Amino acid sequence: MSVDLGVMFGLFLSVVLVNNLVFQGFLGICPFLGVSRKLDMAFGMGCAVTFVITMAGVITWCIMHFVLHPVAGWALGDPRALNFLQYVAFIMVIASMVQLVEMYLKKFFPPLYTALGVFLPLITTNCAILGACLYIYMKDETQQLLNALIYAFGGGIGFAIAIVIMAGIREHIRFSRVPRPLQGAGISLLIAGILALAFTGFTGIGK
Amino acid sequence: MAEEMSHFQQFKSGIVENNPVLVQLLGMCPTLAITNSLENALVMGAAATFVVVMSNLITSLLRNLIQPHVRILIFTLTIATFVTIADMTLKAHLYQVSKQLGAFVPLIIVNCMIICRAEVVALKSGVGRSLADAFGIGIGFTLALSILGVIREILGSGSLTLPGGMKLLELPPGFDPHAWIIMILPPGAFLTLGVVVGVVNYLRQRKPKEVPA
Repeated sequence: MSVDLGVMFGLFLSVVLVNNLVFQGFLGICPFLGVSRKLDMAFGMGCAVTFVITMAGVITWCIMHFVLHPVAGWALGDPRALNFLQYVAFIMVIASMVQLVEMYLKKFFPPLYTALGVFLPLITTNCAILGACLYIYMKDETQQLLNALIYAFGGGIGFAIAIVIMAGIREHIRFSRVPRPLQGAGISLLIAGILALAFTGFTGIGK
Repeated sequence: MAEEMSHFQQFKSGIVENNPVLVQLLGMCPTLAITNSLENALVMGAAATFVVVMSNLITSLLRNLIQPHVRILIFTLTIATFVTIADMTLKAHLYQVSKQLGAFVPLIIVNCMIICRAEVVALKSGVGRSLADAFGIGIGFTLALSILGVIREILGSGSLTLPGGMKLLELPPGFDPHAWIIMILPPGAFLTLGVVVGVVNYLRQRKPKEVPA
């Protein structure tokens, strides 16, 4: 199969800006609101998510195309017959992936491990990861492994950009006088709404 | 009054004072994504209620067997199983709605609200309390989604439709829903939820302090 750079670039741009997982897809909202209080924490979270999302995207792609479809086709005669196992398999992959990344970092990159610390286990329940894996399976363009990799990586970058912008703004408003009922989650959601409006402006770029 | 809450209080606390969406801010992703109409909100609420009830039931039955270090894995696998059942049921009986909900039905698996209930309540208490809690949380979740769904559907589409397709309300033709199209687009979700959370906080802060239970 030929490698189409145009399609790949369009896919990357679309998932980073136009269909940003956070602002247009509503994925990963919990860490987006919870870990965006300080810029360095937000950056660490963004990096960790980008890494896990890329790995999980590729591995779940391989599971679907090399394990579930062939086994179902061979044993039951219909490649899609085992698709009901998809969710259980995906969440299993993500949970063990996070565990693996945690152990690997602890052994080989202790500074990075301490920097990411508490965020690593939280990534398991980050819906951006499971969401991206599911979208990779649903989309037509990501049926090739390379495109799936780019989609997953772009999704992670998009998440990182969103959470870093959010943290930057929240650091700025720390000393502003926000009405009491809106303090905390309320004002963050309103800021996110305005940011989402800005990102809506990218609609129409690419595909 | 004993120190522990009665089952009914446990049930009620999930709906009002510990509402998962409006107070605890858990399960944000489906809250924002699928509340563009009341119908979606109700179906999503029902699916999540089913999953949280079943997951609390199973976790509570297994609570003496679960080893602490694998508990999160067991929770997610239990939840994933019931989400698969819910997803297949929706696809079979409510195909249109299930198509609109898209990836957000499988994403119930990673809804922190459900894992939180398994961890906080079901792992430590008997079946009766866990079920009461799960129903309370499920209904509270559905209620919060419906509030957002009603606001966004009335403003964004100019009408309100029940799951059966019955029109509950239609705004006069003088109201142009196209001017409010933003309400059913993603930014509207963030803005509506921000305002609703603000109003809920305002009401909570105004309420006179009660004796802590």
